Amino acid sequence: MPTWPKESKFISKNIRRIDGPAKVTGSAKYTSDVQPEGCLYGMILRSRWPAARITRINLDKARQVAGFRAAVLVREGERRVRYYGEELAAVACATKQACQDALRAIEVEAVPLPFVVREEDAIRTDSPRVWDDSPNLSKAGLRERGDVTKALADSAVVVEGFFSTPVQVHHPLETHGNTASWTDEELTVWSSTQGIFSVRDGLAGNLNLEQNKIRVISEYMGGGFGAKFGPGVEGALAARLSRAAKAPVKLMLTRFDQSLAVGNRPSSYQKIKLGAAADGKLLAFELDAYGTAGIGSGGSTEGGGGGAEFPAPYIYQIPNIRVSHRGVTVNAGSARAFRAPGHPQASFGMESILDELAVKLNIDPVELRILNDPFEIRRKEYQLGAERFGWKEKYRKPGSSPGSIKTGVGCAGAMWGGGGGGTQAEAQVNPDGAIEIRCGTQDLGTGTKTVIAAIGADLLGLTPDQIAVRIGDTRFPPSGGSGGSTTAASVSPAVHNTCQRVLEELQKVSGMSDVRGENWKSACKKLGVNPLVVPGKWVEGLSSSGVGGVQFAEVEVDTQTGFVKVKKITCVQDCGLVVSRLTCESQVNGGIIMGIGYALYEERVMDRASGMLLNPNFETYKLPGLADVPEIDIVLLDMPERGVIGIGEPVTIPTASAIANAVANALGVRIGSLPVTPAKILAALDKSKATA
Amino acid sequence: MKPFSYATALTPESARELAGQEGAYLAGGNDLLGLMKESILAPKLLVNIKPIPGFNAIEQTARSWILGATTTLAQIENHAGLRQAFPGLHQAVAEVGSLQIRNVATIGGNLAQHSRCWYFRHRDLVCWKKGGDTCLAREGENRYHSIFTGCACISPVVSNLSVVLAALGATVHVRRGDQTLKWSINELYAQAWDDPSAHHSLGSGDLILKIEIPADSRRSAYLQASEKAQFDWALVSCAASAQVDQGRFSRSRIVLGAVAPAPYQVNEANQMLDGQAVDEALAAQVADRLLRDATPVAHNQYKVAIAKALVVRTLLLLRS
Repeated sequence: MPTWPKESKFISKNIRRIDGPAKVTGSAKYTSDVQPEGCLYGMILRSRWPAARITRINLDKARQVAGFRAAVLVREGERRVRYYGEELAAVACATKQACQDALRAIEVEAVPLPFVVREEDAIRTDSPRVWDDSPNLSKAGLRERGDVTKALADSAVVVEGFFSTPVQVHHPLETHGNTASWTDEELTVWSSTQGIFSVRDGLAGNLNLEQNKIRVISEYMGGGFGAKFGPGVEGALAARLSRAAKAPVKLMLTRFDQSLAVGNRPSSYQKIKLGAAADGKLLAFELDAYGTAGIGSGGSTEGGGGGAEFPAPYIYQIPNIRVSHRGVTVNAGSARAFRAPGHPQASFGMESILDELAVKLNIDPVELRILNDPFEIRRKEYQLGAERFGWKEKYRKPGSSPGSIKTGVGCAGAMWGGGGGGTQAEAQVNPDGAIEIRCGTQDLGTGTKTVIAAIGADLLGLTPDQIAVRIGDTRFPPSGGSGGSTTAASVSPAVHNTCQRVLEELQKVSGMSDVRGENWKSACKKLGVNPLVVPGKWVEGLSSSGVGGVQFAEVEVDTQTGFVKVKKITCVQDCGLVVSRLTCESQVNGGIIMGIGYALYEERVMDRASGMLLNPNFETYKLPGLADVPEIDIVLLDMPERGVIGIGEPVTIPTASAIANAVANALGVRIGSLPVTPAKILAALDKSKATA
Repeated sequence: MKPFSYATALTPESARELAGQEGAYLAGGNDLLGLMKESILAPKLLVNIKPIPGFNAIEQTARSWILGATTTLAQIENHAGLRQAFPGLHQAVAEVGSLQIRNVATIGGNLAQHSRCWYFRHRDLVCWKKGGDTCLAREGENRYHSIFTGCACISPVVSNLSVVLAALGATVHVRRGDQTLKWSINELYAQAWDDPSAHHSLGSGDLILKIEIPADSRRSAYLQASEKAQFDWALVSCAASAQVDQGRFSRSRIVLGAVAPAPYQVNEANQMLDGQAVDEALAAQVADRLLRDATPVAHNQYKVAIAKALVVRTLLLLRS
């Protein structure tokens, strides 16, 4: 069984991101930077109707626009559109301006149809149907264990609540997009993607092309968060435009496009009943939930995917449960996997009701969690985190903080699977000692290249800057999509295996017993003229799956203006062997900042009357800025014996729940609806004053 | 964006001549270019007014401070004399956008900027302000809209500077035809109350020349509440000025922003302060009077509470 080195110079250490200089100097080429000779721009015509029958699309006038080179329809003939922003056609032109002019010149004839964009409207039986053959509200996916009715009746305490989370839109800083170049019936695509092979295979299917005729490249990319696995409609359009125009076409979505059609986290509306014994042991959990994934429904009870369902009850052990999930279709862009699909919604409902229970039972919220948490590592994390955060000193009775600006604290936990597999890699060792490690994975910005360099350097006795890391090309040995927090756990063992085999081969060829470190160059010299190329693959024993993670939040709430300032987040997270400490912590920072957005700012705002999205930009779709980011204290549990486990997703799950709990603790009033805005805070305070 | 010509003006007169009725003045461009990109405006000609000599000058005379129309917000923010004379102005400027925006945004542009209403800004929606016949926000998503809603369009003025300049009793010099008009801030926005298609009283071709702020011994203060800590619009903003002698206020003004099409003040509220030693109780009474006639819509009731809190805080800040 292979093992990780006991002593290492680079693994688990603070090494600098190897592509940092390229990124800050701008020499790193992202998809939007790729500019093949003669490259045209592509843009997409979208539906202006939230629902309509499209009877005719006339491209004639677009063809007259100066600079026009090609146009394609998404679909021939009459068709239906089901949301504002659905793709109709695309044009390729010499300039972006010409594209805009051409789009404006396209004539679309449509018969508008009734639509519904809000969940609360869509579930009414008299609402227009999004899909003719099925009701907007799906059948309930039911799951039962034990006897909930009896357990609730037997409970010493029962708390009830209604919680909601908004549709969160996928807004990676680099929008979705591709540059497609079609030559001699071969297609090269530079893609902003989380899965170069899934883009290749998706395009092969779309275009009826053999997989070996397509090459997908993604050397650098600016974030995906679950929305960038396939080529998408926009990727297929870029390729079709390139074929039609006989020239490379760059089609990057605008921020407006990005807001409409390439994914989001489904909303959730959760009615929860939780019963417990007097000592706080949880006995019964009842959930009646619905949410929308846009035009996709998703009504099953399994977690994951892009559906509206989520894992429930979240984390904590409860013997008697009854869970009902329903999906609601609305005329809006459909959901996609979004960083820890389902989990932030699940966490928000569960952790909120748990704090209500803690208050009612007069039990410390941390102790209540430890009492009911079946996962040993997380119990330890709660203890460690509470100590580090100063929970005992900071936690006060809800609403008891003096003055008009109140402070509060809250906590919440997470779980995630992760794990890895299915990755191959290869190393090319050159006679001068220069080495290149190649792997068909992609770096979402998480530090995959640095991870590869750190492992290579440690195992070969070199330094990270001596390892040339090549990734993001389907001509390299295959790896899976970067999702589910699986990249590090998939790639690291494959690189480990490759390097072990390099050492073995090099020992054989050179006849030297130790080829590492200072012997490396002299061993390589013995290769003669031909470089040594060694394949490797993922092997058992170097990675695992299944993590916990807890977070503590401290907030300040201005009870007169409703303004929430997050003062501090403490995060305790396990992820097995920490490969690259700085990039790992960087992912934790990113997950927490994303969670702050979910807690306080982000929300897709749909206009009921027009069916249109009202906030398709960063002015009104608000994201945390630097001034909104608090002190973040990160504790990574070093558990090298577990091997490599991914960290991308768990760290964003509990943030919003912890912040919302902290706000409730500050105010003595709970805002059961994300985002927690000044409007909601002031309304809740107003209501509590009126009933007091 | 539609094709346009571009010209550079070296005098206010040539700027006006060049712009005619169909041109637009380009200063910082933050608002104008956004409107053009969304095809809300399509001027035939852009007249760059930044090179006009002295147009971005900050001058101090015996009786006033004079700020040229293209003075950038960063210039104002970093000007020690202005900061000392008008702390409220400094604070209002510092809250605008981001540093990058303040580096190019001008005082004239900040005052003349158009509505941020998300219905108005939407490329596929038509409301009063775009030649339509309805306010889509009134029955729609109006959390960020006005709470004084007796007018046809309920999108509020969002210029931070308009609020503090109203409190400071500033005069805006506007060239219209051969005349130079001297408008109060009230007059600059009067038309927005009556005409739902208007953002202010400036007609096509009208050019803001400078802003004159009386240099007297009044104190000033500005506060705003937003959802985010920085780089966010005010949900409500508030500015106040008064002469304070041993705790007693005189020549007081208290103004609210982002609650009405124009900076909102009530003479009676101002008068309640004059001659008084302002304390929290009086400040709260003034706040109640200012908000007395508020008629919030479905989703912005909360703004009334914020406005009241800001009035009290701003007045107490002024006293301190």
